[in-house]
Amino acid sequence: MSAEDRTIVSRFTMEVATALGAAAIGALVIYGANEHSIGWGDAGPEPGYVPFWLGLIIVVASLAVLVQTLVQRVGAGDSFMTREQGKRIAAFAIPVALFVPVSLFLGLYVATAIYLLATTTLQGKFPLVKAIPIAIGAPVFMFVLFERWFQTPLLKGPLENALGLY
Amino acid sequence: MFDNVPLLLHGFEIALSWHHVALMIGGVLLGILVGVLPGLGAPNGVTLLLPLTFSMDPVSAIILLTSMYWGALFGGSTTSILFNIPGEPSSVATTFDGHPMAKNGQATEALTYAFMSAGFGAMVGVIVITLLSSAVADFALKFSSPEFFAVYLLAFASFVGLGGGNPFKTIVSLTLGLAFATVGQDTISGSLRLTFGFDELLRGISFLVAVIGLFGLGELVLTMEEGLRFNAVASRISPRKVFQTIAKMPRYWFALLRGSLIGVWMGVTPGGPTAASFMSYGVARRFSRRSANFGKGEPEGVVAPETADHAAGSSAMLPMLALGIPGSATAAVMLGGLMIWGLTPGPTLFVERPDFVWGLIASMYLGNVVAVVLVLATVPLFAAILRIPFAVVAPLIVSVCFIGVWTVASAEFDLWLVLAFGVIGYLFKKLEYPIAPLVLAMVLGDKAEDAFRQSMLMSGGSLGVFFSNPLVGTLTAIALILLAWPIVAMILGRRRAGVAAVAAAHAERSPS
Repeated sequence: MSAEDRTIVSRFTMEVATALGAAAIGALVIYGANEHSIGWGDAGPEPGYVPFWLGLIIVVASLAVLVQTLVQRVGAGDSFMTREQGKRIAAFAIPVALFVPVSLFLGLYVATAIYLLATTTLQGKFPLVKAIPIAIGAPVFMFVLFERWFQTPLLKGPLENALGLY
Repeated sequence: MFDNVPLLLHGFEIALSWHHVALMIGGVLLGILVGVLPGLGAPNGVTLLLPLTFSMDPVSAIILLTSMYWGALFGGSTTSILFNIPGEPSSVATTFDGHPMAKNGQATEALTYAFMSAGFGAMVGVIVITLLSSAVADFALKFSSPEFFAVYLLAFASFVGLGGGNPFKTIVSLTLGLAFATVGQDTISGSLRLTFGFDELLRGISFLVAVIGLFGLGELVLTMEEGLRFNAVASRISPRKVFQTIAKMPRYWFALLRGSLIGVWMGVTPGGPTAASFMSYGVARRFSRRSANFGKGEPEGVVAPETADHAAGSSAMLPMLALGIPGSATAAVMLGGLMIWGLTPGPTLFVERPDFVWGLIASMYLGNVVAVVLVLATVPLFAAILRIPFAVVAPLIVSVCFIGVWTVASAEFDLWLVLAFGVIGYLFKKLEYPIAPLVLAMVLGDKAEDAFRQSMLMSGGSLGVFFSNPLVGTLTAIALILLAWPIVAMILGRRRAGVAAVAAAHAERSPS
């Protein structure tokens, strides 16, 4: 087995982590529901009633998944992610996550251009001659499509302001 | 039943305008594109297009979206057969025999079998809708809040009881969706729920953002993780072979009928197209005279799942139209669209907007014919698109997803939210938590809660209202049985396993 095929996270670990995460969301829902009356008033359930019970069901069901996982050792020997897969996911997901803060500062069009340029050259190993037309062409096409045809303004940043594009 | 014919003819008048036929062609082409590209499926594609229809008239909008749905269902089969990569979850079963056929040099035959049987299945689904929908709607017009709540409960319960997989995971997914739906301003009391003081949560969590994250980003991560490689087989279509294959279709009449029946059943109940295609494939393999040939390129192994897939996809529109309950994740998104366009899904739609209902049904006949023709004609084009490196295609899909999220409500917070849903989608897919119940619950959550609380207002807080007449009592009882079903099955299964273990031990001791 090469280093790239080695499991870095087992399925068992992720089953446990996800069940605990779901239970935590359930607990948060219960906490949020408690800001309102969770009881049964004259007119049937109060505003907090439905979220409270939903939160409780989430907690109970995810704990049931947890118990099942622990008792039956679900996926104990199975791989959730190998080193190779982890690298691929990181290479894809990190730029995606960066897209959001960048687009909040520079607008969606500029963020798209930067993102496309970075991914096609660094990951797709595209030469700049091919990458630059894609990175500029796609946002320009989107601009015409959304701002002109659909009359749906997208998030803009300093560049559009400087160019006076609204 | 046949009173619907004049209504349907009027529907054809609406659907056959130039404007609508153009929308159909555009929708089908976009749909095929969405279906062909992995990581961009029908629910996500329809979601991305939905905000752009907010300003359209509802009839045009629904024709565009449903045509896209048909296109996506067809497109998913193309990649299954040519590349062994299902473009849609519901076309996974098509890879089993479709790709071997293509590798044996029968790509044209496999594609023709797939598209023709898909078209057949879809037609059966639409005919069922034509004949039954107004009867179901008439029946449902007698419903009041308790009946509606019981029907919602039944829809939720059938995921747990019939969905297969781990019932606890289904419940987690379903109740998370319901909880997300309660975020924001409460429609009855006006109080702000689960906002935790964040102004961004006042509007609630949009199911459109959730779908783009769960199905779009989540699926892309999975696709990237597997290190996608397209190994295409030759994809030239020879028209003569197409007609020769069509002439052989009647041989598979039984597989077509059986697949349609399975599909219609799974579509009307919220089983959905994916479950239908697997079930139809499994049944065909077990009962076929040529079951030994399955998995090696048997045409019946293409016909069976494709027929069921499309029969389920189209008949999923029946409960959506007549009851306001979608039979698949994509239908759930469309139902959300109906509400955004200002229509009330459910039986009253048949009375208030017959032009909408029958225009839509007529467009389903036309749209599927258009889709079969277009998908056959464009196979080389879309096969060429898949030769573009995925390192370019995937970032483009990501950009489209983010822009789609922005067009939902122009909210910066939603851009962060879609990332969170992407993570949930990836984890859930990999750990086999079903995603469709979560989406369905997010769309129906508010309506279900309103129905529940209105029922409680009617009864003065007594749960007995859900058993107050035979109709609502039956619905509630079936729902409760379905909820309890996994536990019953577990006990029965354990006993059966126990019996088998004893028998096995016995057999070991006394070898015959």
